[in-house]
Amino acid sequence: MAATTLEPTAAVPLKRRKSVEDGGWGSPTTYFVALVVVALTLAPVAYIVLGGFRTNSQITTNPAAFPNPWKLDNYLEVLKSSTFWQQFFNSAIAALATTVGVVVLGVMASYVLARYHFRGRGAMFALFASGLMFPITVAITPLYLVIKDLGLLDNLLGVILPQIAFALPTTVIILVPFLRAIPREIEEAATVDGCSRLGFFGRMVIPLSLPGVLTVGILAFVGSWNSYLLPLFILNNQEHFTLTLGVQAFSSQYSTDTAKVLAFTSLSMIPALVFFSLFERRIVSGLGGAVKG
Amino acid sequence: MSDSQTENSLAQESSLENPSPAGGGAIVATPPAGGRPRRRGVSWRERLEITVLSGPAIIVFIGFVILPVILAAYYGFFRWKGYGRPTDFVGLHNYVVILQDPEFRAALEHNLYILVLSLIIQGPIAILLALLLNRKMRGRSIIRVLIFVPWVVSEVIAGTGFSLMLSTQGAINDLLRNVGLGHFTADWLSDPNIALWALMGILTWKYIGFAVILFMAGMQNIPEELSEAAAIDGAGYWQIQRRITLPLLGPTIRIWAFLSIIGALQLFDLVYIIWGQYVAGTAGVSTMVTYMVQYGRNAGNYGYGSAVAVVVFFISLIVALGYQRFVLRRDTEGALTDGGKK
Amino acid sequence: MTRKFRAAALVALGASAALAMTACSGGSDNGGNGGSTNDTTKPVTMTLWTNATTGPGAKFFEDTAAAFTQAHPNVTIKIQTVQNEDLDGKLQTALQAGQGTAPDIFLQRGGGKMAAMVDAGQLMDISDSVSADTKASVGAGAFAAEQVEGKTYAMPVDVLPGGFWYSDTLFKKAGITTPPTTIDELNQAVTKLKAANITPIALGAKDAWPAAHWYYWFALRECSQDTLNSTAKTLKFDDECWTKAGNDLKTFADTKPFNNGFLNTSAQQGAGSSAGQVANHKAATELMGAWDPGQIAALTPDQKPLPDLKFTPFIQVPGGKGDPKAIMGGVDGYSCSAWAPKPACTDFLNYLTTKDVQVAYYKAFQAPPVNKDAQAAVTDPIIKATIDAFNQAPYVSQWLDTLYGQNVGNALNTAVVNLLAGKGSVDDIVKSVNNAADKG
Repeated sequence: MAATTLEPTAAVPLKRRKSVEDGGWGSPTTYFVALVVVALTLAPVAYIVLGGFRTNSQITTNPAAFPNPWKLDNYLEVLKSSTFWQQFFNSAIAALATTVGVVVLGVMASYVLARYHFRGRGAMFALFASGLMFPITVAITPLYLVIKDLGLLDNLLGVILPQIAFALPTTVIILVPFLRAIPREIEEAATVDGCSRLGFFGRMVIPLSLPGVLTVGILAFVGSWNSYLLPLFILNNQEHFTLTLGVQAFSSQYSTDTAKVLAFTSLSMIPALVFFSLFERRIVSGLGGAVKG
Repeated sequence: MSDSQTENSLAQESSLENPSPAGGGAIVATPPAGGRPRRRGVSWRERLEITVLSGPAIIVFIGFVILPVILAAYYGFFRWKGYGRPTDFVGLHNYVVILQDPEFRAALEHNLYILVLSLIIQGPIAILLALLLNRKMRGRSIIRVLIFVPWVVSEVIAGTGFSLMLSTQGAINDLLRNVGLGHFTADWLSDPNIALWALMGILTWKYIGFAVILFMAGMQNIPEELSEAAAIDGAGYWQIQRRITLPLLGPTIRIWAFLSIIGALQLFDLVYIIWGQYVAGTAGVSTMVTYMVQYGRNAGNYGYGSAVAVVVFFISLIVALGYQRFVLRRDTEGALTDGGKK
Repeated sequence: MTRKFRAAALVALGASAALAMTACSGGSDNGGNGGSTNDTTKPVTMTLWTNATTGPGAKFFEDTAAAFTQAHPNVTIKIQTVQNEDLDGKLQTALQAGQGTAPDIFLQRGGGKMAAMVDAGQLMDISDSVSADTKASVGAGAFAAEQVEGKTYAMPVDVLPGGFWYSDTLFKKAGITTPPTTIDELNQAVTKLKAANITPIALGAKDAWPAAHWYYWFALRECSQDTLNSTAKTLKFDDECWTKAGNDLKTFADTKPFNNGFLNTSAQQGAGSSAGQVANHKAATELMGAWDPGQIAALTPDQKPLPDLKFTPFIQVPGGKGDPKAIMGGVDGYSCSAWAPKPACTDFLNYLTTKDVQVAYYKAFQAPPVNKDAQAAVTDPIIKATIDAFNQAPYVSQWLDTLYGQNVGNALNTAVVNLLAGKGSVDDIVKSVNNAADKG
């Protein structure tokens, strides 16, 4: 392994290849490979988006063709319908509330697991981690009864609270190592300065762990945005539906309007994608924190 | 806290400041070399803080996850149609039937194939891609976003799209015919010889982005001085990757592998949407959870379905514990089991 | 634990049913009585769950509810639409939670599901609340499908008999002048269609039940009426007719009459489904229930009904113990939950089966209504053909998976798909059904 001591390098002519390290263009091979990968990645998504511009008949008779003629009705109908926007709004509320809940509860719990030492710590961690291992489709029936007893049926809260609960395992698993990595010196220094443990938490931990927090926040947001099973069972009134339930409107008793479903789902993908790309840089550094020592 | 304690910990924690060679990805800080001489008791004030901070999360978690799960497991001891209270107690009968059912065994087998193949296929590809994309080049940000898109797309949407594309009368076959490669058309979904590979293709598409991002994040923690020093010494880019980056990426890879394994054991949505519960069996891609839904909820056998869920839980738990013990042990301090060594 | 439900009593005489009913009804008028609240002026709110999420079907329920509340000003009805695939699961959980969350009026599939609800005390017994008019105009066969141990738990609203829906144009193109009536003629038709380069039969085997339906029809022809009924009690396929039916299916399937890739063709999910294939003339026919014309209409290029679509009943099989004219079909009904307000709920159910509402139902859903007077008002030739076949049938059976319950239905679905995929044998069908009892 290379030596870790570095002498000032001014006197040594650097023979590094300029291209890579200076943020310039990579080699053509790299770009070619990247292009192929991106094309493969996006092709199915493109298929879904283009499918929204066709009719069901077109899709049946010419599965691989471009829309011919381009049918804008599907997309326009979706964009014009007030149900779409209402469901969009509901989805947004649910996702944001879930995210906030996950972040707040998750950071608090992870902080405890990361920086306190007490006998039940391993058990608490195992408790959260075990949540990953049970197929959720089975828990839905008793969960419904719990929600009913709380009087939260047909209420977005009845969706938000369980979603927070289900997101906690991943959150804790990612945040605990991250919070552990905050050097003790800072904590000790803060204590020496008279700051309480909780004060330290509020004033230093949260800003320092922001990348990790953003990571779990985005995971929670996307998870909530795409969730289907829980809203399906809890929400009854159409006014409370989230976007994922909106596809119901395009499936009748005996049939599904595939083209409209494709248009609808393409549009509902957008917010999650936008949210993700806005914070993409943070995710990378956030995950970096999770895996480093 | 006394001053002497402060000094002690300062001295011992200093190792955290130096980017150690192991900085590539241990999930938990390695204990300081000297060990801690003092045993801190838990003061009542700390107990209060612990309760206040972790209380809400625990209450919510137990109420909405643990409680329903325990109830669901309770149902596993009954024969129950899902209406009214369960009254037909059958003890372990459901479990006996599950473990003897050749269809369940087939599903378990499929899960294991998927598990192994996921690791073998996605791992190397993701590492290669991460290495390629780790260079600071223009457009890196956009490419990273685009590669991550499949992960953000919901499984329902992805499933619908791939159903249409891969069905025998679907887009892929049609495309092949249109460009004259007609004899490459195949029954991608229901041919038992091909279906599993089709599934692996879809899974790779969906989850490779996550692996790539994870590895890239791990790479970012490898101090640049290492590669710079090696470059000065005359090492080429790929040599550096092979000798420095990859070994240091070890812990990251092991974490990714763990998530991948648990995901493979719990796989459901994509298979269910694309293949449907019945054809999944004949095509050789049924999983334990599709089996659970098929013979549980969809057959009206809620007790049986719950028992299957418990079986899946235990299998996942055993695998997780085993993995943690034998693979992760040297990286972590028991991130899953008792983490209280400090 | 076997289900000892008597839903098997649905096997009833079609044509003579009306006579029997008028004899039985005896003039007792039970509409609107028999409940705890007889006060018809207290404000009452009811929720209604239906799977008619879009189009004319959804509008039908809105209009009908509005008309009812106009006639009963103290009643308010809230409609909730749930997508068909999701309805059963949601309903089950809502009923579990009981009063307050369970809907008052909801779509009832009948069969084993209904029997389970009855056992759990979640349904209202409406036997005494069926009005005289309803009893007079709705055949006993339809009612039998909604009964358990002689008591009625749902009001039937339509019948969906099954048979072949074929494209006349494609048939003529292949030189088939009259639709086949025997298995031999069917085989010949398949050969002719293949020779004309037309896919003979579309099959949505991905969903399994369309494939299982082929087995059910062969079983209907091979098994006697009594066997069908007794099996409902034992849930064991011990009679040899079940094996014979399997052999029939295997022989037929071996002639490769189905579309390419039928294992990943869905039945109804829009583009690419078997209905879509018939709608776009990519296949000549499919074996389905009477909902098919409406479904096909949604998938044609111009989204209008397929002009050359015709109906013909299932073919006869020589040597079978079942009657060659027996018909199999589904019955849609609506139930009141055990906690629903009386008499408002039963009044609504009776209202649903009055002639005008039934005519509106037929127009909205393009499905045969149960009310005989409404049936006479049907103009659509295809639906008329199905109604005729239904009324001429000596007995009517519900779909076997409805009849025998989800658990057996599920096992049958799996076994038939395995058979068609070449993975299972005919004996496996019988075995898997007999083993299904282990799981529930």
